[in-house]
Amino acid sequence: MNRREAWRARALGLLALVLMLAPLSLLWTVFGDGIGVLDWQFLLAEPEQAGRSGGIGPIIVSTALVLLICMSLAVPLGLGTALFLVEQVRPEGRLNLTLQWALDGLGAVPSVVFGLFGYRLFVVELGWGYSLLAGGCTLACMVLPLFIRGCEQALRDCPQSYRQAAASLAISRVGYLRRILLPFAAPGIAAALVLSAGRALAETAVLLFTAGYVMRWPESLFDSGRTLAVHIYDLAMNVSGGSPASAATALVLLGFALVIQLLAWQIGKRPLSFAR
Amino acid sequence: MISRNLIALACTTLLLSACAPQDKQTITLSGSSTIAPLMVEIGKRFETQHPDVRVDVQAGGTSRGIQDARSGLAAIGMASRSLHADERDLVPYTIAQDGIAMIVHASNPLDGISSEQVVALYTGKLSDWSDLGGAAGQVVKVHKAEGHSTLELFLQHFGLDNAEVHPDLVIGDNQQGIKSVAGNPLAIGYVSIGSAEYEVKLGAPIKLLALDGQAASTAALLAGQYPLSRELNLVVNGEPDANTRALLAFAQSSEVADLVDQHAFIPAL
Repeated sequence: MNRREAWRARALGLLALVLMLAPLSLLWTVFGDGIGVLDWQFLLAEPEQAGRSGGIGPIIVSTALVLLICMSLAVPLGLGTALFLVEQVRPEGRLNLTLQWALDGLGAVPSVVFGLFGYRLFVVELGWGYSLLAGGCTLACMVLPLFIRGCEQALRDCPQSYRQAAASLAISRVGYLRRILLPFAAPGIAAALVLSAGRALAETAVLLFTAGYVMRWPESLFDSGRTLAVHIYDLAMNVSGGSPASAATALVLLGFALVIQLLAWQIGKRPLSFAR
Repeated sequence: MISRNLIALACTTLLLSACAPQDKQTITLSGSSTIAPLMVEIGKRFETQHPDVRVDVQAGGTSRGIQDARSGLAAIGMASRSLHADERDLVPYTIAQDGIAMIVHASNPLDGISSEQVVALYTGKLSDWSDLGGAAGQVVKVHKAEGHSTLELFLQHFGLDNAEVHPDLVIGDNQQGIKSVAGNPLAIGYVSIGSAEYEVKLGAPIKLLALDGQAASTAALLAGQYPLSRELNLVVNGEPDANTRALLAFAQSSEVADLVDQHAFIPAL
């Protein structure tokens, strides 16, 4: 019996190793192709020759702006909705069921559909044209269900006894929210934030429809701007001889994702110790 | 507190920059992702000559270019094919030509192929290289995925229906097609002539097959002899304004021939 378990553990370990190989080999290819192109100049300069040479400076700025717009819309709206769901809505009520159903439905919608929606609403109907603002708003719509779900889960994890203790100490509702519930849920909210930001960073189709394809330095939020993912896609698919620059851009995108991960980790850590 | 100030500052900057006056005219192009990288470069060069104009290029496919040109969302649409009969409300300006070459591995003894042979191969009536006069070996057919204009042109030219094609490998773009054929001595595929010649120059082990006796080369395409070709068009709806007209003329002029060449297309002069 013991022996069999040891074998099983070994087999599972081997499987884990094999699974690790997939992302490692991916990193290896991207590194091998891209590291030769990557330097400070690449990060700061404007793209030349449709992206084959030059850098990705304007593209990094556009990506940051789109992400900023997306998150500054999604965070207050999403956190507010999650608080409303947890605090105001009776769990067995019809309203709750309807909202949950709608959230799950929206969460399952393919991102391209959000792209078409954003194209129709922001680009055409509101007349913003292909713009960073339209891209950010569309992305916000896309990540909202995911973010709300994540926040809601984090808020629901707060034990009922905390609420009862707060009530017995006559702590006001706002005080309970600010001092107990939100700090307690902060790591979960941060995790939801990372997931949403990651999904927004990876998005290509949606932004091709809304934020667009222009590689110039963005001068206003109504300018069109291309994000890192769109740039990678275009270089790999439409520009002959674009693969090295595409791989280098992919490295930068990986770096971006890592930084967001670290940031969220920091945010998630601090308030928890404070709450204890 | 500091962070709050920072946020306030960032918001103000954003608002101010969003309200900054736009005294430049913006010409928006949208459409075929094949043409978009080329038009980005042409637009850049145009901007240096016309500092009061900005050229914004959006990709997304030929159908979107036609739709955006019609709706007025874009001043110019980009279409990597000639216009269909029901699209005659738009005016096309041909800026370049592109052809599709049948390619095989460089070690393949074959130098040419006929249309009948291509049809027979892709419908599965022939399946061995010895049937075509090559060394024995099962043919590996590389085919394009749905939604690419190269596929559309290939099917249309050979009178094939995509349902009767039984490929061994389905690929997305030109680069991938070239890599799959370069890596397999038994493969046959079809890609843009310009990209194929570009990759041959870089040393990729592939060979462009003559089609029905016509050599597949940019020179033959230029001379109008190669049969499997398409136009890259800019399309406009109605009468364009002065700057747009200037851009259309510029894109067709010899001033951008080097850019067209760089992107492995043939200038249409």
